[in-house]
Amino acid sequence: MDATTAPHLIPPEMPQYGEEKHVFELMQTMLEQLLIYQPEDPISFLIKHLQRDNDNVPKIVILGPPASGKTTIAMWLCKHLNSNLLTRDNLTERKSSSVATEARKHYQKFKRVPSTLLIRLIQQRLTEEDCVKRGWILDGIPETREQALVIQTLGIAPRHVIVLNAPDTVLIERNLGKRIDPQTREIYHTTFDWPPEPEVQDRLIEPEGISEQETAQKLLVYHRNIIKLLPSYPRVLKTINADQPCVDVFYQALTFVQSGHRSNAPFTPRVLLLGPMGSGKSLQAGLLAQKYGLVNVCCGQLLKETVADKSKVGELIWSFLEKKVTVPDSVILKMLTERLDQQDCVQRGWVLHGFPRDVDQAQRLDGLGYVPNRVFFLNVPLDSIMERLTLRRIDPVTGERYHLMYKPPPTMEIQARLSQHPRDAEERVKFKVDLYYRNSTELEHFYRWAIAINGDQDPYTVFEYIESGIINPLPRKVL
Amino acid sequence: MTSTLTDRTSRAMGTYTYTSRPRVLPCQRRRYRDNLLQPEEEPMRYGNIMYDRRVIRGNTYALHTGSLLGQPDPLELQKEQAAKRRALARKRAQEQLRPRTPEPVEGRKHVDVQTELYLEEIADRIIEVDMECQTDAFLDRPPTPLFIPAKTGRDVATQILEGELFDFDLEVKPMLEVLVGKTIEQALLEVMEEEELANLRASQYAYEEIRNVELAEVQRLEEQERRHREEKERRKKQQWEIVNKHNETAQKISARAFAQRYLADLLPSVFSSLRDSGYFYDPIERDIEIGFLPWLMNEVEKTMEYSMVGRTVLDLLIREVVEKRLNNYEQKENRDPSLRSEGPNGPGAMGQTLGGYFNLSQTQRPLSDRDYLQRTQYDTRSSSQERRFMEERELLGQDEDTEMRRTLGKTDPAA
Repeated sequence: MDATTAPHLIPPEMPQYGEEKHVFELMQTMLEQLLIYQPEDPISFLIKHLQRDNDNVPKIVILGPPASGKTTIAMWLCKHLNSNLLTRDNLTERKSSSVATEARKHYQKFKRVPSTLLIRLIQQRLTEEDCVKRGWILDGIPETREQALVIQTLGIAPRHVIVLNAPDTVLIERNLGKRIDPQTREIYHTTFDWPPEPEVQDRLIEPEGISEQETAQKLLVYHRNIIKLLPSYPRVLKTINADQPCVDVFYQALTFVQSGHRSNAPFTPRVLLLGPMGSGKSLQAGLLAQKYGLVNVCCGQLLKETVADKSKVGELIWSFLEKKVTVPDSVILKMLTERLDQQDCVQRGWVLHGFPRDVDQAQRLDGLGYVPNRVFFLNVPLDSIMERLTLRRIDPVTGERYHLMYKPPPTMEIQARLSQHPRDAEERVKFKVDLYYRNSTELEHFYRWAIAINGDQDPYTVFEYIESGIINPLPRKVL
Repeated sequence: MTSTLTDRTSRAMGTYTYTSRPRVLPCQRRRYRDNLLQPEEEPMRYGNIMYDRRVIRGNTYALHTGSLLGQPDPLELQKEQAAKRRALARKRAQEQLRPRTPEPVEGRKHVDVQTELYLEEIADRIIEVDMECQTDAFLDRPPTPLFIPAKTGRDVATQILEGELFDFDLEVKPMLEVLVGKTIEQALLEVMEEEELANLRASQYAYEEIRNVELAEVQRLEEQERRHREEKERRKKQQWEIVNKHNETAQKISARAFAQRYLADLLPSVFSSLRDSGYFYDPIERDIEIGFLPWLMNEVEKTMEYSMVGRTVLDLLIREVVEKRLNNYEQKENRDPSLRSEGPNGPGAMGQTLGGYFNLSQTQRPLSDRDYLQRTQYDTRSSSQERRFMEERELLGQDEDTEMRRTLGKTDPAA
């Protein structure tokens, strides 16, 4: 190949593939594993790692004061994510390991398990098949900073750490109502979580150590230790207020666990903004283009530009626009293909709005290979839209655009001569919004991983939501 | 009528059938004269056996047995006679009506002529010949010889002698001429044919030669064409391979460039993530945290313990002294009951607050302190001693306070 041949461009399928398959994260985990374990034969180690394919299993640590509901949340998460629960009790009770028997003896004598034994137990447990395949949830471990440091040194790093938080008085009160079912080891509460079946109700016993004083003691110890633990997990930590109903806490925990962390993978955003007329798509697209350097592709604008260019496609489009007929999908797609294939779109990414308007167009767009990696639905109620659009006015003399509510004209004189664009008339707006809502449910089904944003807020707030949607990785639904 | 019937049936069915009703033999001529001696019998009628009265038809069990038994039925007899008379009359009528040959024309006479194969002499006298034969015992009857009637009459022959009809040489000449001529003509024709054939063959041969030459030419051209085509194919394939390779290399290069760019940030991000997860740590920090700080805490605890122990000892000493003094005072009091100072409020309050502080302290604090403090509530000693006591307490309390605050303060930054 000579150097005189045309510049070789990286085909756009390659970055798309990298994004889809999370190649960067994969390489990152592989390299981390290599660094941690430093095997003699790296190739076969890497092959085994890839075959295990357990990069996305849950690795969660749940910490919290006594009576905050850690075990309950941990058990629910376990069931939901089909993972394994590891608590100090069930680690010491394992029959098959010598370390466990030692730990048990120690516990019986001194009422606590030494850190070293505990860590060894954990290590042993985590190398077992089911933890490797399905992940693990640690409940209440590590208890102290020393334990945390040892765990980290061994290379065991949780991906999510949830810390439950509640005022002490609430916890003391709550702990008095704690009951345990001796058969299933499930924890119930006299007020908040009473079991429905009467047989279970009869079986319940009071666990030991729930009096106020003991709870207070435990709380003291906990507060001492948690302060030192929190800085050990800087980027993966989330505190959840445990003073809410169990279900709320659980859902917050679940959403947190299912969201990934920001990775350093190179990412060209290809954003699709969908929403009814007047939801602020053009504004947001403009802000995004300005801040991140994306190419703002507005379908309507692009049509006008193409017509003005007097290219072949432009002539074709003009013939349709002349007759006031909607331009057919194929022509629009051709025009979009031309635009999105250009080098600047491929390199910098794009923000598309105004297209597609229904599932057919969306499917064809997908078929051509222009798959957006973030889709946003801007939801604005009809009244807001009407307010935003029907109160738009323009001053014919100066050409200045005003809004009777958000940007009123300064003087009465100007206000007297304002006129409204026929496009902003109420009926037209209603008609356009209806058109959008007719197709919106199908579009929502088609773009299943889209993010819905409340567009009824201040534009910069909406922009921040969009930004966070772009920057954070898409949540992985484990269900 | 039979034929028309058959025609109709054959037309209806489309096949050829031929049936004929049983009919009278065609040659029913009488060979002999009517026998005069024979009585008039019932005329031998030819007829259909279907309508023959002699053939019994119908039920044989209900036959008319009248005639058989010999008692002729008078009706039957009459009918028969009538029938006979009618038959005779019909016959005579038919004889009359029978067509005969017409009478001969004037001057002519009809003569009967025999037209059969063998002429026959019709004589008045019947020739009678007696013949006898005797069959052999076990001989088969030989087949009857063909009947050839004896020859009667005279044979007459004629003979044409040579030279009477025609002259051979004269007659033969034209014929001969024709024959020979024809033969020669034939021969000529054959020769001409042969010549023609030879010519044709020659021209064919020539044509073949030309054709072969042309074929050879064509083959050569074809070969050339084929070689060209193969060459073209080979070149095209080569070119295609080159283009393919070009594309592949371009792809590989772009893949490599992409991978390099994509994973450019890999190492730094790996290291930062490992640092965040705690695997990479600052060894000095860790060392301080794990090695130095616990030791420091231990030492601080030890020092505090010592000071606590010291204070406890001091307290005990003071207690001893105060008790002794109390005893002395009591003894004095017994003699002088007026000297009674206020109660336990002062030291009691003091003791309580101090007890409170001690509650908040580290759990290693011995509980004996609290007991001791509570007991001091009941001290009711001399005011001066109490005041001194209280001052010492305050001082001690403040010291302990500051110590505690300091230790608490130390634990915080270590976190």
